Amino acid sequence: MDTADDRIAAAPLPSARTLRRRRSIPLQLFRFGRINLRMLRMVRKAH
Amino acid sequence: MARVVILGAGISGHTAALHLRRLLGKGHEVVVVSPNADWNWIPSNIWVGVGRMSPKQVTFPLAPVYRRQGIEFRQARAVAIWPEGDGDSGQPAVDIVATLPGRSGEQNRLGYDYLINATGPKLNFAATPGLGPDGNSLSVCTPGHAEQAARALDGVIEKLRAGQRQTLVIGVGHGMCTCEGAAFEYTFNVEHELRSRGLRDLADVIYLSNEYELGDFGVGGMVFQQQGFISSSQMWTESLFRERGVKAILRAHVERVEPGKIYYETLDGSRGALAFDFAMLLPPFRGADLKAYDRAGTDITADLFAPSGFLKVDADYTPKPAGQWRAEDWPETYQSPRYANVFGIGIAFAPPHAISKPRTSPNGTVIAPAPPRTGMPSAVMGRQVARSISDMIRHGAAKPTHTASMAAMGAACIASAGAGFRHGTAAAMTMYPVVPDFARFPVHGRSLKDTSGEIGLAAHWVKHLLHFVFIYKAKARPGWAFLPE
Repeated sequence: MDTADDRIAAAPLPSARTLRRRRSIPLQLFRFGRINLRMLRMVRKAH
Repeated sequence: MARVVILGAGISGHTAALHLRRLLGKGHEVVVVSPNADWNWIPSNIWVGVGRMSPKQVTFPLAPVYRRQGIEFRQARAVAIWPEGDGDSGQPAVDIVATLPGRSGEQNRLGYDYLINATGPKLNFAATPGLGPDGNSLSVCTPGHAEQAARALDGVIEKLRAGQRQTLVIGVGHGMCTCEGAAFEYTFNVEHELRSRGLRDLADVIYLSNEYELGDFGVGGMVFQQQGFISSSQMWTESLFRERGVKAILRAHVERVEPGKIYYETLDGSRGALAFDFAMLLPPFRGADLKAYDRAGTDITADLFAPSGFLKVDADYTPKPAGQWRAEDWPETYQSPRYANVFGIGIAFAPPHAISKPRTSPNGTVIAPAPPRTGMPSAVMGRQVARSISDMIRHGAAKPTHTASMAAMGAACIASAGAGFRHGTAAAMTMYPVVPDFARFPVHGRSLKDTSGEIGLAAHWVKHLLHFVFIYKAKARPGWAFLPE
């Protein structure tokens, strides 16, 4: 059985591009809107 | 005139109180009994725990809000329920003990027509010897605990600056804990603070959890459809651990915490010890210590409450193996099956079983996350139960008119992984339904369309926004009722 640390060591690492995208203000502003829309969808399903 | 008494002023109890006041009008009484003077936006306690926020930023006094809304507030702790009344009167009642400074210890019997038990959890540090702020580890469950954790973290930072290597262990302090998400958040916020100070290389950050695999979060993990692939919260979480250099010990039950050392058992039956300089371990929860008596004074606590101390509601509590769990096991109305005017919501209701598969070590130790029922689902339960009670009082409805099953509702969860407007990050997750329903979604138990996860700065902004929105709503500021739970 693999230990948790074995699995972590084999997990995919985000590329430099992915890390940049996660902090890119214009892209994250778009994501901000998208996350809020997804949350509103959950709100609709929760009520 | 009817009187509705709500025990607890957390997310579910406070939501129920505000909606009941709005729905019932002035002809009926709404009374809130809470031992705490303040309301606390608990999801932001992790930021208090790293010194990013003060306790005042995550709390506000309840009394002025309730005064403005026309809700009676008793700062007291409920100790016993008399659902049939007592020998003198057939009026159902609850015994409360004042916690208000100056009146502390005064006991009263408060009559009710409807009762909502929303006491939240008792933080059961006693389940693990040495666990908790009065023992040898820290907590972020309350603003006070979190402030204490922040001071301890400052001490660690000073030692790191002095070039001393430090081991920080963050996780859960018992095999049957819940709230792994909060432990995850605190782990990555601490890691972020150390990294941002240039001290990360000297620190070992270890996540210690009862989860079977990373990304379980007490909900059995999640499956996402992303970029043409079906991926899991396990892979996604393991990737974050690798990226941030955080180690993990999983499938663990903490047996005891001694000064500087944690002793634990893992699911394979082996035992280990882990030395630490800083340990934040969340406690297991149990129900508040409430007793119940019938009119003759006979103790009926075991009839109303599960052995865990949580209130039994309209769930199917028949013991069954995980393979036979059904969505219908989960409660819909949160009404007590024994007393139609008693409800249990938020953490205070007894779940029928776990969501994650329960497992037992060869030594007989149960090591499995308990089901989370905080945040959005808690607030939705508060609102729906308020609507049902309002319909029962105002329109004579014979039974609850609104439902809020966790097996039929979606939830959004934002797990912070580091604070900061430009450099913060968080994981934004949505899932539908919260409790997997394999009858409706045979392959994964949840809708792939509505179950999602992503990491980034935007999710941190959302979490920060929610902090302000929900405190605004809880203060019952103009338009609060239009803001969703």
